[in-house]
Amino acid sequence: MNLQVVYCNHHSANLGIRERLAFSRAQMPKAYARLRSEFPQAEWVVLSTCNRIEVYTAQEDSGRRPSHEELANFFADFHQVPLEEFFDDLLERTGPDAVRHLFQVASSLDSMVLGEPQIVAQVKEAYALAQDEAASGPLTNSLFQRALNVAKRVRTETLLAEGRVSIASVAIADFGKGIFDRFDDKTVLVVGAGEMAAETLRYLTDEGAKKVLVTNRTRDRAERIAQDCGGVVRPFEQLDQCLAEADVIVSTTGASPPLVDLERFRRVRAKSGPKAVFILDLAVPRDFEPAIRDLDDNVFLYCIDDLEKVCEQNRLARSREVARALEIVERETDKFMSELYHRATGPIIKRLREQYHGAVGDELARLFSRLPHLKKDRAEIERSFEQLVNKLLHPPLEVLRDEAREGTPHGLMNALKRLFRLHD
Amino acid sequence: MLHVTIFCFLASYLVAFALELGRLLGRSRASRFVMIGFGLAGFAAHTIYLLNRSQQTHLPPLLASTHDWMLVLAWVLALSYLFLTLVQKELAIGLFALPIVLALVASAYFLNHEPNTVMNAERARRHWGMLHASFLVFGLTSAACGFLSGLMYLVQHHRLKTRHAEHMGLKMPSLARLAQANRWSVMLAFLLLTLGFASGVFLAVAPLGGTPSVNLSDRAVVISGVVWCLWAVLFAWLLTHRAPTGRQVAWLTISGCGFLLLTFVGLQVITGSIHSNSQILPAGGQAFEVEHDG
Repeated sequence: MNLQVVYCNHHSANLGIRERLAFSRAQMPKAYARLRSEFPQAEWVVLSTCNRIEVYTAQEDSGRRPSHEELANFFADFHQVPLEEFFDDLLERTGPDAVRHLFQVASSLDSMVLGEPQIVAQVKEAYALAQDEAASGPLTNSLFQRALNVAKRVRTETLLAEGRVSIASVAIADFGKGIFDRFDDKTVLVVGAGEMAAETLRYLTDEGAKKVLVTNRTRDRAERIAQDCGGVVRPFEQLDQCLAEADVIVSTTGASPPLVDLERFRRVRAKSGPKAVFILDLAVPRDFEPAIRDLDDNVFLYCIDDLEKVCEQNRLARSREVARALEIVERETDKFMSELYHRATGPIIKRLREQYHGAVGDELARLFSRLPHLKKDRAEIERSFEQLVNKLLHPPLEVLRDEAREGTPHGLMNALKRLFRLHD
Repeated sequence: MLHVTIFCFLASYLVAFALELGRLLGRSRASRFVMIGFGLAGFAAHTIYLLNRSQQTHLPPLLASTHDWMLVLAWVLALSYLFLTLVQKELAIGLFALPIVLALVASAYFLNHEPNTVMNAERARRHWGMLHASFLVFGLTSAACGFLSGLMYLVQHHRLKTRHAEHMGLKMPSLARLAQANRWSVMLAFLLLTLGFASGVFLAVAPLGGTPSVNLSDRAVVISGVVWCLWAVLFAWLLTHRAPTGRQVAWLTISGCGFLLLTFVGLQVITGSIHSNSQILPAGGQAFEVEHDG
């Protein structure tokens, strides 16, 4: 049995290479068709995300399997990328290493953001697609189903996926949702048009935020953001009015001196009343004077440093769980490989037993036809012969099982085939 | 009926609380199941104990004795805790609710176990007494909920103001929800306590087949009246104050509810019972003998 993965990921290849080697959803059927036509005996699963492109191969028999070079050529031909540009970035793992690699990938131990949850869905999707394309088989089915189980074990038995690690998710989940119960009745104000504002806005709209006001010195950029989230652009001159209306303020202008000082915000609070206001100052330098957070009980102001500190704490907490997660992966890899090796010896054991029991059956039939008076004790005689066969077969089969714990015992299996004339 | 003692459910609640504390260090599905298991076991033992007592005294637990009444209050709070814990698996309700349950059960141990013979004697008085005790128990439960939501509000507010991440084992509802719970608890508690107080006064002055069981100049009745007046002031402030902040409401609720709970529980412990010094024997002059399990 052969298991292999040829891959490049964010550790080995830069984004430029990964972009060129990635398979889009539309390209997948064509890729599978080509792989199947070149290696009809192999099973395939292709996992392609923005951080990794991995081709898993498995083969029950020891026939010709795709080599590292052949798969590298496949990448080069399929994507029309010169081989020398990425050959060194393309890595290979085989046998238990390949299994361990997939288990680590599915458990998000190999992700750019440790413990991120999307990878499990991506692995699941890749496996489902391989099944739809009839590219997977018994080995890859076992492998991927086990990988998804391992990912679940790691998620539930460790704290690897606990705590958020991106600025926007920490801002909304750890702080925003601690202040407000819901966002669909809140007014969100975006000041500035930075990338961070757009990302935070995505989280807010996911939480149900509907009313979004966008204001920026440059109206064009504000319109672009407003268009993406269905917001309304307000002139920058109406900033004070907007601040008073808003329940959530996301600011990313980075103006110097701060855009909103204590006095200005005091005037805003006089207009808005004492309602709770959640301010995310994601700008560097800060847009809101820090003293604003002590203005009253209902002002909750967070700057980028506050959010980054929480992200870092969560990252540290996650990294402390890596050892426990790796232990689970290691145990599961051993278990999977052991099952796989036993599976490889199964047909030999079956044939050996069939051969012996067949011979016993023939001999007994001959015996009873020549000595009919023995027929009254037939059951007892048959049982004795069966026990004799079992006793004779026990030592070689025990050795085979022991050997299979360490790997597929090809040498022993061949010896058994030759010694006992076991033919396919 | 099973022989259950106060210690059985006190110990179960205590273990559930210890497990809840342990969840601050690390959460696991197993620890949650064990924690809920101990909570449910404690609740079951608590229920059996109250049923046993009811059979022995021939009175509903609310009327049987001050000891039983206090245990009913703890029982309602334990039920609320279990319901919320089962529905909201992320929230650390037990960390706040279980200490109050434990305190009530522990204080019940020291209270008067003697059955209230007055209630057993007269049917009309018994109905009014039931109404009076029910209003008080549910009023105090609302007050305890107000106290807990106020406490959680302040902890959550402090976390958000000091910009700390949410602790894994200390997840709490949002400030908006806590403020809402706070306000409703105070209003409901005031309404129920008013009805409880009114029915108590009625019970004291109405000629329901015998001599009134409570003297209106009794120290406990006077203190209860004063507490009710303070609550009326808190209620009026909540209704009339223009947009108080959640934190102000939380502080007031904690003070009001805490004072109320302490006064009621303290009064019971100090005096044995509001009605303890004015018991009347039933017509037959026969008091009930009750086996004390605690």
